[in-house]
Amino acid sequence: MSTLSLTRRTFLAGSTLTGLAAVTGRGLLVPPAWGAAVAKVGEAAPAFSANTTTGKGVSLADQRGTIVVLEWTNHDCPYVRKHYESGNMQALQKEITAQGVVWLTLISSSPGTQGYVTPKQADELTSTRKANPTAVLLDPTGAVGRAYGATNTPHMYVIDKAGLLVYAGAIDDRPTTRRSDVQGAHNYVRAALDDISAGRPVQTPVTRAYGCTVKYA
Amino acid sequence: MSLRGTFVVLACVFLILGGAAASSETPRVRVELLSEVAAFTPGQTFWVALRQQIAPGWHTYWMNPGDSGEPPRIEWALPSGFTAGEIAWPYPDRIPQGPAMTYGYSREVVLPLPVTPPSALDPGTRVTLRGRASWLVCEKTCIPEEAPIALTLSVAARAPAPDPRGAPLIAAARRNVPTPSPWPSSFVATSEDITLTVEAPHLTADRLTDVWFYPARWGAIDLIAPQRVRVDPAGIRLDVARGPLRDAVGAPIEGVLVVAERLDGDVARHAFSLTAPPRPAGAHGDPTVASLLRAVALALAGGLVLNLMPCVLPVLSVKALGLVQHSSRPARLRAHGLAYAAGVLASFAIVAGALIALRGAGAQVGWGFQLQSPAFVTLLAWLFFAVALGFSGVIVVGGRFAGTGQTLATRSGYGGSFAAGALATVAATPCTAPFMGAAVGFAVIQPWPIALVVFEALGLGLALPYLVLTFVPAWSRLLPKPGPWMTRLQQLLAFPLYASTAWLVWVVSQQAGPPGVGAALAGLVLIACASWVHRALGGVRALWRHAATWTVAALLPLSIVGIVALGPLAAGPGSPAPEVAADGRLGWEPFNLERLAALRASGKPVFVNFTAAWCVTCLVNERVALRSPAVADVFARKGVVALKADWTNRDPVISRVLGSLGRSGVPLYVLYPPGAGIGSAPTVLPQILTEGAVIDALDKI
Repeated sequence: MSTLSLTRRTFLAGSTLTGLAAVTGRGLLVPPAWGAAVAKVGEAAPAFSANTTTGKGVSLADQRGTIVVLEWTNHDCPYVRKHYESGNMQALQKEITAQGVVWLTLISSSPGTQGYVTPKQADELTSTRKANPTAVLLDPTGAVGRAYGATNTPHMYVIDKAGLLVYAGAIDDRPTTRRSDVQGAHNYVRAALDDISAGRPVQTPVTRAYGCTVKYA
Repeated sequence: MSLRGTFVVLACVFLILGGAAASSETPRVRVELLSEVAAFTPGQTFWVALRQQIAPGWHTYWMNPGDSGEPPRIEWALPSGFTAGEIAWPYPDRIPQGPAMTYGYSREVVLPLPVTPPSALDPGTRVTLRGRASWLVCEKTCIPEEAPIALTLSVAARAPAPDPRGAPLIAAARRNVPTPSPWPSSFVATSEDITLTVEAPHLTADRLTDVWFYPARWGAIDLIAPQRVRVDPAGIRLDVARGPLRDAVGAPIEGVLVVAERLDGDVARHAFSLTAPPRPAGAHGDPTVASLLRAVALALAGGLVLNLMPCVLPVLSVKALGLVQHSSRPARLRAHGLAYAAGVLASFAIVAGALIALRGAGAQVGWGFQLQSPAFVTLLAWLFFAVALGFSGVIVVGGRFAGTGQTLATRSGYGGSFAAGALATVAATPCTAPFMGAAVGFAVIQPWPIALVVFEALGLGLALPYLVLTFVPAWSRLLPKPGPWMTRLQQLLAFPLYASTAWLVWVVSQQAGPPGVGAALAGLVLIACASWVHRALGGVRALWRHAATWTVAALLPLSIVGIVALGPLAAGPGSPAPEVAADGRLGWEPFNLERLAALRASGKPVFVNFTAAWCVTCLVNERVALRSPAVADVFARKGVVALKADWTNRDPVISRVLGSLGRSGVPLYVLYPPGAGIGSAPTVLPQILTEGAVIDALDKI
């Protein structure tokens, strides 16, 4: 099980939305099923902690001073498979972690849904796919995913050394399931990291993520 | 078993066998290519469509799939010379999936697109359109699917031959493709929210059951957030949280507004495409301090200019003459100035209150709304006339019946000054000064406290010149010494008031016709008569004198009754002018029972369009079906007379006719066949019209 602490700000934002939903009335409005995305690019990334496949707790606060990449995944999703079966995702993980960046792969599928894995299955996937994340974090309650407003797999986030969220969105600019589209695609995560190391603001901080919906409980 | 039924059963079997495994190659969607024509004419564009029949629980996506998903695509391999256009997307459903909102289609969708064949083709040739359709279909899991599509058509020698299966499916799908919005729209962005304004002034909240805005692109608005909708006399205002693309608000927001309207026992959905440009906060709608200050400044200036208007200037001048006599007692003067200002502000508060209350009740009113009532205009004409008679010296100043206004304007007590302020306000109502329009236009769409502030600024502007004169004795000393010139000036100032009276009677002639003018003029004669009676009985005891005067004056209300009884009040301002045939389109005559009876007696077929400006369905029907050239052609060919019954103002005659046809509201389309007796039953068309439905109905007569 993941343990998790959300910031007070996040909680307040959620309760405001609930309040709004309660006063809609007159049948003209549809109450929201969920709160709006709470993580905002340009602001502090929501704090979280979750367990790795070995049961060790990892918290975002511990990573202060390091660039962090978050990758939401679901190994059965055709869009995720495009990037793993082409070797694109593994290559990016290897290249980026070699620069000292922490890469956290998150799985928010709830038990019984597509993409849900036990810690053992998660480790098997990492070794059979020759993946190179710093750690795989298990989020079966979906709490971390919701705090970040993760809607898709793959859904990518980049957090800078100061803990600011600087990129949220797609992995690249080819929203398809065709493996051949990996060639020549513009990779937004790599571009964001290049901007950070060049000391300039991230040029494309937000894109529409593409993929399968995250299978929340 | 029907094709669709077979498919549903098969889909269920596949689902059971395949479960939710993403690796299943089983199709969740049956696709086929349809055409509205079986045989097409060379060079003439026709519609084809990709039809998707989707397994229960699964969905495919709209052009903007939302936070996840992918729209269907077609890769064409068309014969040479053929071109295919873009898909005309029918409006989608909202399909929320956890924290993501997606837009798409369930069960079945027909996606129409135009195909243009080359002009050089031999009639009788058979042509096959081929392509490959790919799409993403999702339930809880998502599966990319693709399939070849093909359709063989023949080349027609002359007219295209409709396809009996494809034509109705494509017509129904195109009915759900958004039409361009007839209303201007714009949006304002704050740091958290976007307010989209659609200026649809006639809509009312009680007819609309659902309003939703589907943006054409991802990013500008938060798709999963609630859309808070207000429908007021200014139009539709929709508040929604901003989306993650922060700089998206620098450009126009495009999208589709879907409005569900409650009809007689039915709900009709209409989709409008719109492009809303950004506008600076506070320009219109949401007030900022700057825009409020600007409106107050304009109102103050407008109020000042009102003093110079022909209806106000005489009243104010005569009041100012009083200053000449009181100039020796500054304290008294100041008190008079304040009483006058209080009179102006109090009456402006009443006008503003009435205006705010009426707008709250949904009426379309602005400054001078009282002038929409011929009875009010008549009263105003009489008041001006009585005051003018006083100025002319016909009515003795100081008598109790001396034309209420004139007494009020010249009475010496503080009550008199307060009343003079009220009179100045009443006199100002027919006048619109420069600067006033913008300020009042701003005020009427604001919450009531802000509206009140702007109106009181207007009043303060009106009161200010007199107030300053009373507070700065040095200025009033500039006025000439009292003398006989004062009487001459007062007599001269009567003429702008006579002119105002004449203008108001002319207004009545526009509103209520000859009976209204007759009543207004009869009232003027009675006022003149009452003045004469009052003066002629100068030597008689006061009691008798007042009794006689009031007896004559009591006849005045009879004149008003005359206006109300005889004047066609229903045709007041606000009802649109009769539509005239122009640019070859269908010409509509205004409906009335006599015209309908006469037309039917002469054996002519008649089509009656019962409509209203606040009815969205009526508007869409007119744009989609009734205004089309093909429909106008059939009307002309069949000699059908088109009558438009405009129910915008709830005309009682039209209400009765609706009731006799078993309806309580609009839209209603009725076709009276030719030559039939007066009593025979007319054909009632569906409330949702298509071009085809109108043409079919007309062809049957």
